[in-house]
Amino acid sequence: MTKMNKQIRAAAEKYLKDSIVSCVIGYEEDSRGRIRPAFIEDAKDADRLIWNATCNLNLVNYLHQRKLSPGKDQPVPKTAVLVRPCDVRSINLLISEQQIKRENIKLIGITCPGTEINGQPRTICQFCMERTPVDWDVLIDSDQPIEIPSAEDIYEDIKEMENWTPAERLAYWQKEFDNCIRCYACRLACPGCYCYECVSEQVDPHWTSIALDVPEKMFFHVMRAYHLAGRCVGCDACEAACPMNIPLSRLNRKVAREILEMFNYKTGDDPEEAPLLACFDPHERLRT
Amino acid sequence: MTTQFEPKIVSFLCNWCSYAGADLAGTSRISYPQNIRIIRVPCSGRIDPLFVVKAFLDGADGVMVLGCHPGDCHYQQGNYYAQRRYAIMHKLLEFTGVEFERLYVDWVSASEGKRFATVVTRFTDQIRELGPLKLNENNKYLKEKLPEVAL
Repeated sequence: MTKMNKQIRAAAEKYLKDSIVSCVIGYEEDSRGRIRPAFIEDAKDADRLIWNATCNLNLVNYLHQRKLSPGKDQPVPKTAVLVRPCDVRSINLLISEQQIKRENIKLIGITCPGTEINGQPRTICQFCMERTPVDWDVLIDSDQPIEIPSAEDIYEDIKEMENWTPAERLAYWQKEFDNCIRCYACRLACPGCYCYECVSEQVDPHWTSIALDVPEKMFFHVMRAYHLAGRCVGCDACEAACPMNIPLSRLNRKVAREILEMFNYKTGDDPEEAPLLACFDPHERLRT
Repeated sequence: MTTQFEPKIVSFLCNWCSYAGADLAGTSRISYPQNIRIIRVPCSGRIDPLFVVKAFLDGADGVMVLGCHPGDCHYQQGNYYAQRRYAIMHKLLEFTGVEFERLYVDWVSASEGKRFATVVTRFTDQIRELGPLKLNENNKYLKEKLPEVAL
């Protein structure tokens, strides 16, 4: 057992034993040796928890199931979550949007060496420059050495696409969106997608039909990218969840890059800050 | 004989400034292209950027969003919110393959009838030069599965 797993289990056990939280959300191994989310409610189950490079979910997503009080006069349940640096930014996003309260959450943070998918390091992790969380209650150091990439090549693929002609970009996205089967796995994997009724399923107003046409799928993905503008933390759980391997992170990273350039704003820096599109500066004149 | 391409342009005009500006252009008998279809909305902040996406996907060749000048909004702040939203949506649409020039966001006040006509004429010429937007062209489901539906 690695030192890191030992520390994660010790932290979870302590939280549950002292009744600081009623549930610890982490990862465990399933019977086929893959990882899956684990919801530990008893201190003696804490040794199920693990962490390895294939853990590429955003566990903050599961906090939505525990953000409301279970009944009248009952407090909101307290939860501990295992978080990577990008997941902590989702925590700050949800706090700034008044979804969760920091005092109900305990963060078991890890310094992240990067995750992988199908044995390959994930693109987004190769580009990630943030390896230590912005906030934590317990910080657990990674076993593996951490290599931070240089800043220049973070947006390499986006810059390349920007040099294409509009017709080429349209053809590229239509080809990619054509693969979409509208399973909404991207939406379910995303901690920022928590509307009770999604625009893509709304009947009144009826924004988009349930057809598998390219325009309908394009509407869904553009809508999702826009609704995540200034809210996407770049954890890339959507792309990892996509069964058709659509490069969704390109859309989100393009928007994040423009927002960084225009407003010098990075999602999840400060839980007290108002959401980007819910405020304005009367003196700004943007190129619209 | 070849007919000239006439673009379909959807324009969202805010009730208090741009719509009144368009009205003034009409009452002053200034002519502007008939390609624009005007939709009157209470404020530029009312126009969800998804309206624009929907218009493009449903066959518009260009979309105009006109509101009050910054500081002049009837509801004090609607156009400031709109400005932020469109700055982002414009970049996103450009990235997904809709030319930057197909969406036009500007401020036109109630007294600027002449300017309204100029803006519309310029934009229509621009779209006419760009040609039709072919977002629906690759829609193989529509072509293969519904041949009997007259398009």
